[in-house]
Amino acid sequence: MTVRKKRFILALIGLVLSALYLFPFYIMIINSFKTRRELFLDTLGLPDTLYFDNFVLAWERLNFPRAFLNSLLISTGSIILIIVFSAMAGWKLERTKTGTSTFIFYFFISAMLIPFQSVMLPLIRLMGKMNFLNMPGLIFMYLGFGSSFSIFLYHGFIKSVPRSLDEAAIIDGCNDWKLFWHIIFPVMKPISVTVAILNATWIWNDYLLPSLVINKEKTHTIPLRVFFFFGEYTKQWNLAMAGLILAIIPVILFYFFSQRHIIRSFVEGSIK
Amino acid sequence: MKCRYFLSLLLVFLFPVTLWAAEIEVDVFQFKVETKDVLEKAAKMYMEEHPGIIVSIQTVGGGDDYGAALRSRFASGNEPTIFNIGGPQDVEDWIDYLEDLSDQPWVELAYRGVLDGVTVDGKIYGMPFNQEGYGFIYNKTIFEKAGIDAGKINSYDALVEALEILEARKGELGLKAPIAFAPKEKWITGLHLSNVAFSQEFGDVLTAYNAKEVDFTYGEEFKLLVDLQAKYAYKPSGLVSSLNAVDYAAQVEGLFSLEQVALMQQGNWVYNSVASMDEELARNIGILPIPLKGVVEDCIPVGIPMYWTINKNVPEEEKAAAKDFLNWLYTSPAGKELIINEFKFIPAIGGYDGLTPSDPLGQDVLKYSEAGKTMSWVFMGYPSGWGEQVLGANIQAYLAGDISWDELEEICKKEWSEARN
Amino acid sequence: MRRSWVSFWLFVGPCLTAFIIVVIIPLLFGIYYSFTNWNGINAEVDFIGLSNYAKLLKDVHFAKSFVFTVKFTLFSVFFINLIGFLLALLVTRGLKISNFLRTIFFMPNLIGGIILGFIWQFIFTGAFGALGEYTGLKFLMGWLSTTQTSFQALLILMIWQLSGYVMVIYIAAIQGIPRELIEAAEIDGAGSWMKVKNIVLPMVRPAFTVSLFLTLSNSFKLYDQNLSLTAGGPARSTEMLAMNIYNTAFSFMKMGEAQAKAVIFLIIVGFFTLSQVYVSKRGEVEM
Repeated sequence: MTVRKKRFILALIGLVLSALYLFPFYIMIINSFKTRRELFLDTLGLPDTLYFDNFVLAWERLNFPRAFLNSLLISTGSIILIIVFSAMAGWKLERTKTGTSTFIFYFFISAMLIPFQSVMLPLIRLMGKMNFLNMPGLIFMYLGFGSSFSIFLYHGFIKSVPRSLDEAAIIDGCNDWKLFWHIIFPVMKPISVTVAILNATWIWNDYLLPSLVINKEKTHTIPLRVFFFFGEYTKQWNLAMAGLILAIIPVILFYFFSQRHIIRSFVEGSIK
Repeated sequence: MKCRYFLSLLLVFLFPVTLWAAEIEVDVFQFKVETKDVLEKAAKMYMEEHPGIIVSIQTVGGGDDYGAALRSRFASGNEPTIFNIGGPQDVEDWIDYLEDLSDQPWVELAYRGVLDGVTVDGKIYGMPFNQEGYGFIYNKTIFEKAGIDAGKINSYDALVEALEILEARKGELGLKAPIAFAPKEKWITGLHLSNVAFSQEFGDVLTAYNAKEVDFTYGEEFKLLVDLQAKYAYKPSGLVSSLNAVDYAAQVEGLFSLEQVALMQQGNWVYNSVASMDEELARNIGILPIPLKGVVEDCIPVGIPMYWTINKNVPEEEKAAAKDFLNWLYTSPAGKELIINEFKFIPAIGGYDGLTPSDPLGQDVLKYSEAGKTMSWVFMGYPSGWGEQVLGANIQAYLAGDISWDELEEICKKEWSEARN
Repeated sequence: MRRSWVSFWLFVGPCLTAFIIVVIIPLLFGIYYSFTNWNGINAEVDFIGLSNYAKLLKDVHFAKSFVFTVKFTLFSVFFINLIGFLLALLVTRGLKISNFLRTIFFMPNLIGGIILGFIWQFIFTGAFGALGEYTGLKFLMGWLSTTQTSFQALLILMIWQLSGYVMVIYIAAIQGIPRELIEAAEIDGAGSWMKVKNIVLPMVRPAFTVSLFLTLSNSFKLYDQNLSLTAGGPARSTEMLAMNIYNTAFSFMKMGEAQAKAVIFLIIVGFFTLSQVYVSKRGEVEM
């Protein structure tokens, strides 16, 4: 089989798979253009007419520009903190081979198993006492919850970065701080982008934590406002789906562009 | 110089005054998303009439996490002024935070029995939201086409007869089945349907709340109601077990609103759901009784879904403002107008002469009330979680054919007594 | 020596501080509450010893949901990682549409759990039902009404969502393999499969450790999707541990017992996952 033919077959498999992966999105998109009645009458079919009112209404009811800004502030703030601090911790923990270091690493990792609900009430009590039930507090909490997993990713990545890189720099007279920011951190760019993407999807969509922390409507994030489409009995799915589409477009764009970045930086980084 | 001194003195005096004037903030923490907008409107109207008081409304989205949200709100130290509780168990749990409302003017206007669930030692701790009632909601147009006189359905046998007619003629009526039944929602079976039997066993909510044991005195009759709905319901795969996949949306917004069934067990709260699907249909629906065979056959359960309560640990003036706001909302002319026409509530207190619910389901509930054909809601008196997680879940197992009805009663009796002893 | 100690805490300190305040202290409170009659409301509680733990030994549903969760976790960890790894291989072959495919495969992670459940409910009941009627295939009918189909539905949803997630991690690892290694293998005449087996697999071991652990802990803690797709039904047979704990707390209102369950849960899951990390870390290639 020629390389060309092989690639063609692989691309074909990829396309078929992507159709499967896209099917639920198809359902989401077509239903965001339907009236409530049409949605229940024929969920799977195409809408009779493109009913844009859902988007207009969702935009208004979500107070979209405001909610978007809030979500953006919280997500970027948290992600920057998570990347900076867990990259530092992940690198140091991997390079330090002492009992304390190993213990702290496993300490972080085991926390990923804690179901959020079991620390929820004590956490809120503590944060209330610290006067941290606001946006900066929420960002701080995301650092606490997100660091375990991010340190884990950095730790795994650093392993494949040759130690000789560190050693050479130290011989050249670098201190730890310089070594990390000038040499290690740039090398870790691909995993940093991965950490950013994985944390972004979680924080952007998170409902429970912000619902407990943010009490003021003007600092509501998108998911908090989307939940106002879900009542005690009735859920306004057509509005929720339109709102959701508005909310995920920026994340898709972010992912699409940043992952191109991963590839490029990998190519650059591999010439060591 | 003098002038400046005077000015700053004035500022020193004025500043606290202006601050103080806007200082009283009534913080309302409520669970009903459906009433979010109109409650905010009411708060705004109240604030215009009462300068110096701020009423801020906070609503928990998503419907069913109010208990968790309320606990975390109190845990955070940022306690609300006004919040919601459901029944006797909530009163017991929250008693340290509940203001005694016995001296409030609306108390003597309250209908008989509506305060039972929030009364402890003669003290009243909650103000009823509204009254709600449920039964078998039916499509009047389809009933007419099928030649069924809804007015005559006041017994179990009459209901069976109607269902049989609908079943026989479902093809020409364009129905998938006579009725839509949604046991996936455990509250529909475990709380609402079971209430028909247990309201007869216990009589009222406090008796249920204090009962150490449950006997299933009317277990057989209760079983008939489950079986009857299962028999005539739309079943996705044709098998009874597939009913366990039918939820509220499929029942109300799907099957019933698209006129693929003629009946469903639901309450007056579905009016807005149905109207948002089909306004024409929403004008032509009514409520039939849920007949407990040979016991009570022509009544519907009517009760109070939630109560307003006031946090007794907030400053006196804040409490006073909170009481005044609730009074204004439920007893002032402007407030009453809102309650009836915007909240679309059926009030649980009197003094609403000349104001009647505008929707047909609310009107039907009122009709049953006035005719005395109601039974009380006792499910707020079940042990916490028992109605849904024990009874509702076991009804699913029964429908799936995993357990027999006798086993169901056995399990549920045991769990009840373990929770209470 | 002294300096490296300072630098160690300087680098690890910020994360550790946030982590201890946000996770560990509340967790200790939670453990403390598991020995009390706490109702989630009052700060003053009575110490009641081990009786919350004694009660959960008798809780049949806790045991059942534990077994169900373990079963679900085993299946989902296996399939998510297998499929995620294959997807990663597919999109690192330098195809023109690679970038497009990566975006598509990852997109499921952009939808929050609640709405996801709703969309899939329509697929399982609506689309499967319609397909079943059309083709006459009986097994497509009545999904989500039995334990078996609810289990499969949950599994499909999780594979669909998380395979793209671990794919991202595998891509990063595959891209990190030095070119020279692969080129050397090609010069030696290794075929695709040989390259995967002898170079890619050993080189992405750390990524396996990470992804296995991630999927393991995600499946064990699953809540949103569980709630919105099956709500634990029918008859609480698909109620996973997180939901069981949540219901104990906020449906049965037994906060102390729920905390006791969380503690037991943590110990058991911690034991399994940490031994998994320990074992797979030992097999990693150090550079």
